[in-house]
Amino acid sequence: MIQDSFTLTFLPEKFYASRNNFAPESLLLSALVYALAVSVSNKFSALALAAILPIVIICVKKINLSSLLKLNVINLVMIITLALTWPSILGGVKMGMLITLRLNMIYIMCEFMIFPLGITGIYEALCALRVPEKLRVLIILTLRGIFILHERLETALISVKLRAPNLHGIMKLKTFASILASVLLQSSSHSERIMQAVTCRGGFGGFLQSERESVRLRDMLVIVSFMIYSAVVIKCNYL
Amino acid sequence: MHISEGILSGSVLIAGWAGSLTGIAYGLKRTESEKIVRTALISSAFFLASLVNVKIGPSSTHLTFLAPMGLILGCSVFPAVFVALLLQALLFHFGGLLVLGANTFIMGISALSVYILLGKFIRESEKKFLTFTLSFIAGALAVMLGTFLVGLFLGLTDGNFLTAAKIIIVAHVPLAVIEGSVTGFLVLWLKKSAPEFLA
Repeated sequence: MIQDSFTLTFLPEKFYASRNNFAPESLLLSALVYALAVSVSNKFSALALAAILPIVIICVKKINLSSLLKLNVINLVMIITLALTWPSILGGVKMGMLITLRLNMIYIMCEFMIFPLGITGIYEALCALRVPEKLRVLIILTLRGIFILHERLETALISVKLRAPNLHGIMKLKTFASILASVLLQSSSHSERIMQAVTCRGGFGGFLQSERESVRLRDMLVIVSFMIYSAVVIKCNYL
Repeated sequence: MHISEGILSGSVLIAGWAGSLTGIAYGLKRTESEKIVRTALISSAFFLASLVNVKIGPSSTHLTFLAPMGLILGCSVFPAVFVALLLQALLFHFGGLLVLGANTFIMGISALSVYILLGKFIRESEKKFLTFTLSFIAGALAVMLGTFLVGLFLGLTDGNFLTAAKIIIVAHVPLAVIEGSVTGFLVLWLKKSAPEFLA
């Protein structure tokens, strides 16, 4: 097991091993190029061509189908809404189905290529793509802030529930706003002091990155093949 | 208020990314290194606010925290919104990565507009009632502006989405009232305890 430096959760070693097959930035870019091609496709023939890859992924790899099912329950509500609000019911259903198809395909690709990277992988990809350090540091600090604020807010809300269980209406909102403001203020002053200490030691709160390897052939091949595949899908859409 | 993946057309997606990247670049330039921790904390609060369920009749929605974000961060609001939405897309699969640009633009511009329109008046107001009223308007306006922009983006994709967009706008009116109240009380508390916290 290896501990993820961002989320502090333990992940199996094979997760890291499989991730290292391709550079995170190549996976991220490839998936986004594919998602863009799917998003601009309006014809079912183009989407059928684009669907080949997700179908292969479902057959070969284990994809979390329960979350896909949950996603499609929400999509069903959307299809009904579109059917009721579109000029014709059939047109609304067709549009809803088109969106559902696109969403499922993009979701499967993200589930396969982007989500397994985790925050660490995305951070590495952003480094490789030369995203400004300020933004990368902001991602790390926000992730840390979520854990801190969540813990403090939960404690404060439990204590309020114990002391005043029958709070309703405007008083409930007032209490929530006061708790949120005080937690923000306390956390901010505490975190700013820590950040000052970090910057005094010459850092900026980011993680040091080792020298990047030169772009590997297999990463280039992945990106180029996804670009060609996406170009064919777009071409098929406009035929 | 998140637009899902696969709905917007290619041109609208590109326009959304262009707008949000401009906002992020400007926001990063205006964010001083000392203020980066505060920006991150407000971004975390924005992330967590979406997990707070608010019951409205038989349905439920979640807080957006857009107006407090704008009033506290000012011009740095775009990077904060972007980071929170990126983490939501990665950790909870809310919204999506390709549509992240459009979602960032919608929420960022709503928060920034509230700051530009009402931020100065809220900072300078001395009477409690006036501060609360202005903050209430800011909170409600941010939500309504956000939903209007969602409708606009949907309408630009396909004109037939406009009826659904109108339903979305009407459905967000109760949330605007709740958000306005929370913003009002939060700003009142901040003005009393730490007025320097407001941008």
